[in-house]
Amino acid sequence: MDNSICKVYEDEIQLLEEEIKLLTEKYEDGQQESTFFSDEEILMSINSLQKEFQGESKGNEHPSDLKARLESLETDLSFLMKFTGIQFRSHSKKTVEKTGNRTVQKHRLSGNCHSLSFQLEFQLLEMQNKESVSAVITDLSILLESGEDSDVSKFVSSTEEHGNLLTFFRSLSSYAEWYEYRRCTFLHFK
Amino acid sequence: GVFAHLALLEARAYEAAVKQEETEQQEEKLARLKARVQELRLQRDKLRAQVEQQEKGQLGKEGALNPAQPSAQTVLEWKMKSLKAMLQIFYLTGISGKLTKQGVCFCISTAYEGTYLDFYHLDLLTKPEVQIYRHSIPIFIPLQQIAKKYLQTDIRRFLSVLSDHLNAYVGRRYQADQLQEHFSGQIEGTLQRNSLCNLLVFNYNVSSENKTFLFKVRLLYGDPCCSLPTEAVISST
Repeated sequence: MDNSICKVYEDEIQLLEEEIKLLTEKYEDGQQESTFFSDEEILMSINSLQKEFQGESKGNEHPSDLKARLESLETDLSFLMKFTGIQFRSHSKKTVEKTGNRTVQKHRLSGNCHSLSFQLEFQLLEMQNKESVSAVITDLSILLESGEDSDVSKFVSSTEEHGNLLTFFRSLSSYAEWYEYRRCTFLHFK
Repeated sequence: GVFAHLALLEARAYEAAVKQEETEQQEEKLARLKARVQELRLQRDKLRAQVEQQEKGQLGKEGALNPAQPSAQTVLEWKMKSLKAMLQIFYLTGISGKLTKQGVCFCISTAYEGTYLDFYHLDLLTKPEVQIYRHSIPIFIPLQQIAKKYLQTDIRRFLSVLSDHLNAYVGRRYQADQLQEHFSGQIEGTLQRNSLCNLLVFNYNVSSENKTFLFKVRLLYGDPCCSLPTEAVISST
């Protein structure tokens, strides 16, 4: 019947729309990953936009507002890194799945907490509910410097097993702080 | 007679017209859907090719992706996206936030194993001394006590202790919810709990060899910073 053919087309439309969303995000992620602009290039861009803007106001954001927004984000980020002791050196993400209200992204994160460096890989599943977004970590893999300490390696394996990313960061923070104190104390005695 | 006959013919003609219109509408709809499918397929194929090109490009050769000089707008959008993504990641560490005119607004994230649960906000003023301006901490968490002890002297410690309380509470609540959800068949009646979720009382049944035994359980979580019970009392009813 005609109705069933309609349904077939409608189903295919939905699948195609979802696939397009996923591919678009993959492409944008890819573009973001493969580009890098230095601080000088960023400054140059701000200046060039300000010059352009003197001519007309296209209804776009005023460049000094854009500059202010960028600076505010940078100060927030550097405050957090200083306050928590956690410095992220590099971060990359790849969208693996995007259907309906589900998004799965693969993340790679590296950085250090005080003097201890770490490298993480995990999958983040985010689901949009009516009022909130839920996030679940799976496939967590952790590489932590000073992993020769057997207690630390036990902690790392148990954290990996349960996907306990939050506990990892919270414990890392205090462990790294005390690691620093011990190091300084021992140096003092040398 | 003739009149009735005419009326009948008119009715039939009307029905035929309606049916004709329906068929035409249906055909139009099908044509529209078919065209849409073609359009989307083209778009999808184009994107697929772009993504493939991108992936190949990354395997070595330079210049393939950004042959033209990027516009200032593009550069700044890249930077904005990069900063936002980094800030987003911070919530996974447990403490995130942003600076405000009068101080800082912290966001404490909680999780149980790999599942991130609630976020709590704490808006702090830093002058003349550190004080709590606004917050979304539930009333049964001893915020004032913790603040009195640590807020002025060691703000990191303050956040750490507060975070312990919040994570433990959220962990207990999540476990109780999971228990209700996954063992609803075995729980008799309702699972009773207090707001802090450190006291759980429920009845559950265990079946063995066609006999069902009913037990009453009382779980007490004595440590507010721990999400495991310190005392369990099980009695048969």
